[in-house]
Amino acid sequence: MKRFDLILLKIFLYGLPVVIVLAVFGYCYSQGIVDRANGIVSLMNSVTGLLFAAWMAITLYLSFRLTISESLRDQVIAKITFMRERDEREAILTGKATKTTFLITLAILILLFSLSCIQVSIYRVPQDQAVDGKTGMISLGLGFNLFEQEKQDQASKEMQRENIFLYKGLPVSSEAILLMLIVLQIISYNYSMRRLMK
Amino acid sequence: MSKSLPQLKIVNRLNVLRAEQRITQEKLAKEVGVTRATIIAIEGGGYNPSLELAFRIARYFKTDINSIFSIAEGK
Repeated sequence: MKRFDLILLKIFLYGLPVVIVLAVFGYCYSQGIVDRANGIVSLMNSVTGLLFAAWMAITLYLSFRLTISESLRDQVIAKITFMRERDEREAILTGKATKTTFLITLAILILLFSLSCIQVSIYRVPQDQAVDGKTGMISLGLGFNLFEQEKQDQASKEMQRENIFLYKGLPVSSEAILLMLIVLQIISYNYSMRRLMK
Repeated sequence: MSKSLPQLKIVNRLNVLRAEQRITQEKLAKEVGVTRATIIAIEGGGYNPSLELAFRIARYFKTDINSIFSIAEGK
């Protein structure tokens, strides 16, 4: 299994530039830059699709294996993060840098969670719905959904209110947040390690 | 970590012993199984080695731990 994983890992890494070339070819094909009527080009497009599907399958498999295989994690993730534990001192420093990274990540996750739960809206209601003659309103709320769903702003529709400012959680996609957290972990770990090494 | 206890400063004679025996940091590091950076850190007082490493260093110099590592109290 370990050998099989390493072979797939090499295919994934060495296949990455090939996939980029295939993506460029696929784009050219879809845009009609290359002659679609040509039989060879058409065949190449089919092969491109198959290769891309195979590479995607390997990527998914490796991502899954990384979460369950400790040895693969040690080999791959440690290299990605430039983790070095050549002796006891480096092992201790790695532990300290990892602690710092863990605490920073946790703090940022708490902040992101708070920002995604908070809902703020500043709005103006029609004159007939005014409270003590005041039409400007501020509404604060907390929202938590277990699954991703379109956030409703039913109140706005019912009250025919005119929103001046509306905040319904983080306006960043989950993919962007996950990528940011991955990059943050690598940067934070390496920065802490460099500081401790001095 | 307890704040009531005074922190012990451990000093060492590693650089003296090395100079006496004309051993490079690189060679010592190789012999005791650590990196040169760790030997530099120990000599500079930036890192206190584990008991195991301290014993390995002492064995390499054919001496005991107390003659290499000691506590500098009140500093």
